[in-house]
Amino acid sequence: MANSVTLIQTQALSKRYGDKLAVNNVSLEVQAGEVFGFLGPNGAGKTTTIKMIVGLLQPTSGTIRVTGYDVQTQPLLAKASSGYVPDTPNLYGKLTGRELLRFVGDLYSLDRQRLAQRSEELLRVLDLTEAADQTIDSYSHGMQQKASLAAALMHDPKVLVLDEPTVGLDPKSARLIKDILRQMADRGTAVFLSTHILEIAERMCDRIGIIDKGALVAVGTMTELRALGKAGETSLEDIFLGLTGGAEAAEISEILK
Amino acid sequence: MNSLSALPSGGLFPAIWKLIRLRLLLNWNAFKHAKTGRKIGTIVLVILALAFTGFIFFLSWLLLGFLRSSKLTQYVGFDVGPFLQTVPVLVCALLFVGILFSSFGVLLQALYLSGDMDFLLSSPVPIRAVFITKLLQAVLPAFGLAALFGLPLLYGLGITGHYSLFYYPVVLLIMIALTLAAAGLSALLVMLVARLFPPRRVAEVLGFLTATLSILCSQSGNLFNSLGHNVTISGSQVNGAFALLMRFNTPWNPLNWAGRGLVDLGEGHWLAGLGLLALTLGLAALAFSFALATAERWYYSGWAGMQVVAYRKKPNRTAHARAATTPSMPLQSDLAAAQKRQVLPAPVRAILQKDFLLLRRDMRNLSQLVTPLIFGVFYTFIFLRPGSSIVPDSPDTPAIFSSIARFISSYGNIGMSLFVGWMLLSRLAGMAFSSEGKNYWMLKASPVRAAHLLTAKFLMAYLPTLALGALFMLAVSILQKASLAIFLYGLLATAMCLAGMSGILLAFGVAGANFTWTDPRRMNAGVTGCLGQALAALFLPVAFGFFIVPLLLVTVLNWPQVYGSLAGAAAGIAICAIAALLPPWLVRNRVEMLNEN
Repeated sequence: MANSVTLIQTQALSKRYGDKLAVNNVSLEVQAGEVFGFLGPNGAGKTTTIKMIVGLLQPTSGTIRVTGYDVQTQPLLAKASSGYVPDTPNLYGKLTGRELLRFVGDLYSLDRQRLAQRSEELLRVLDLTEAADQTIDSYSHGMQQKASLAAALMHDPKVLVLDEPTVGLDPKSARLIKDILRQMADRGTAVFLSTHILEIAERMCDRIGIIDKGALVAVGTMTELRALGKAGETSLEDIFLGLTGGAEAAEISEILK
Repeated sequence: MNSLSALPSGGLFPAIWKLIRLRLLLNWNAFKHAKTGRKIGTIVLVILALAFTGFIFFLSWLLLGFLRSSKLTQYVGFDVGPFLQTVPVLVCALLFVGILFSSFGVLLQALYLSGDMDFLLSSPVPIRAVFITKLLQAVLPAFGLAALFGLPLLYGLGITGHYSLFYYPVVLLIMIALTLAAAGLSALLVMLVARLFPPRRVAEVLGFLTATLSILCSQSGNLFNSLGHNVTISGSQVNGAFALLMRFNTPWNPLNWAGRGLVDLGEGHWLAGLGLLALTLGLAALAFSFALATAERWYYSGWAGMQVVAYRKKPNRTAHARAATTPSMPLQSDLAAAQKRQVLPAPVRAILQKDFLLLRRDMRNLSQLVTPLIFGVFYTFIFLRPGSSIVPDSPDTPAIFSSIARFISSYGNIGMSLFVGWMLLSRLAGMAFSSEGKNYWMLKASPVRAAHLLTAKFLMAYLPTLALGALFMLAVSILQKASLAIFLYGLLATAMCLAGMSGILLAFGVAGANFTWTDPRRMNAGVTGCLGQALAALFLPVAFGFFIVPLLLVTVLNWPQVYGSLAGAAAGIAICAIAALLPPWLVRNRVEMLNEN
């Protein structure tokens, strides 16, 4: 880790949809240079939490600070320092990859010369140069995912938030994204990513948070999580299933016999 | 390992039934879970459709009875009987050709652009069953429409002509056979086109052409009505029209065999009737089977073509752009200086550029934008055509009426420009936010102020409308030989009224923004959007009145025009500026809360 400046901080964060409490009193911190893995079963509240961090949703209660700025009261400053890659890459299909990056660069008020330089860099690094002048609706899912990452990196954010960034990617692209995220963290960026692939979380993340039914049930390094688990639970999978209820797995294997 | 699945039976009809049952279940669930208002609306619609069928049947009966009357024969001077025998021929031929072309778009959507083909093709269901179900699903609405008009006509013809009882079920059978054959050939056409062009692009072009053609057709009708209000139809003209239609009823055309066979069967010419109908059914079965067999082979290559993306060789970029290898850090240091150099802030320019690109590139958007242009051209023609002048020629007309008529004639061009502008703004301003759709997260997650977003969307709607309105005014003013003063005043009024309307429509568009659409033609902002359009439509005459009433008053009172112009401009600019600025200002906080759910 580069240093211990807190770049993402949520305090007693809650989000309610009618009667359903989607996120319940979540408090966590992510430091500069840290890759933070956010795990949880389907519908546990990962995406809702992420959307609140990047300012797409207003929390029902609690506060979020990104690079020290309150997302609710100073949204522009908070958003200017963060980048977001959603789980589904909904991008403007009729823009070309290059036009998309230029558009995003202009949204972040980047200087024209730097914008051109940065977009070429990202297109090259993410292996999109050949398709850069094609409209995005002709891209494969993986290419759209990479275009989405390129858009999030255009302004070189201090905080990068990614929702399931490796879903649907081939091994080469997944590795490329993992390498980029690691390098970003090594340069001092706080990387907050949600994933269902426990191997990625175990290998890449400095710390891991596990959310279940809207509440944060565990946060810590792998060593700290192992200490939380029962005796014999050494893998992240065991710890995850132990914390989020893995009893159903036995029943499933019974059915599949 | 145990397997719970039995081997698929491979039966075609059980598989078709399974797929049809799935479709019925989906429709039933959609109805069951719909809001009460929608449920009642659906039931009312079904009852109305049934009542309409009954009405058409009754009308056909009356009309056909009249056509067989001796009085008509005396009037037109020939026996209408042979023409009536042509009616089934025309109905069957129209049904076949109509379904062949109208199914194209629906089949393109169902076969290449719907999301369920992957699932269906990977299931243990015969591919033929999938095709047949898709064809049925695609042609059912067109067949329903054809049956709504065709069946009552053909049954009415049978009753008035005392046709045999066999005629009635065979009519239905022949209509179904022709529909399936036409749908099969249409599917082949779809697959042929999909092998050559990207299906999505074809669908966009088709949508654009269909919308343009339908508006052109409907407005041609209006134009024809306005030009031909004193046209009378003589008996000989009716006679000529009948003769022309009857010329179509030739025995060598296979499209006519179905209709001719039906008439022969109805009139008791069994041999000829059954022969022609058997021939028709055989040909239809052959066409359908051939289409099905070929479609199965073609479909995979077309589908595979859709998955392949070929990229052009990348053009050489500038050296300096490529040279950079190390990521460049803090990029926001010179933002403020860069922003100050521009008239508009960078995010506003970015959104404007992006919206113009998307508007131009998506043909489905263009199909909506072309509507005001067609309306404008048609109504201008009607307004300016020879003999349409409202200025009275008679010297006995009181001077005050003459001057009012001359005044309306002079400033009518502003009204036309505003009408065209209103139509364009309804789409551009009313749906400015909805048009973002599922991509809105990009704007929401970016550091863009609500005021900048509103400004960009306002300009995006206002600038093209202003350009179109001004061009329109210029063209009409030249045609009318209007004075420069009238043109400039009209231009000011148009520019300001359009700005006011943009503000109102934009604000209501924010209030009713819909980001869940998948087809741009369905992005309307619901009740709130309709309210906005109604309010803008109310605002338009009021604002126009502020500009024009002082001018009219000074004309009537014979005061100098300059007083009227100054008073009108001051009042009009004030009301329009309020409408342009106040509604967007009122919804600025709502912009930040958009797409929360």
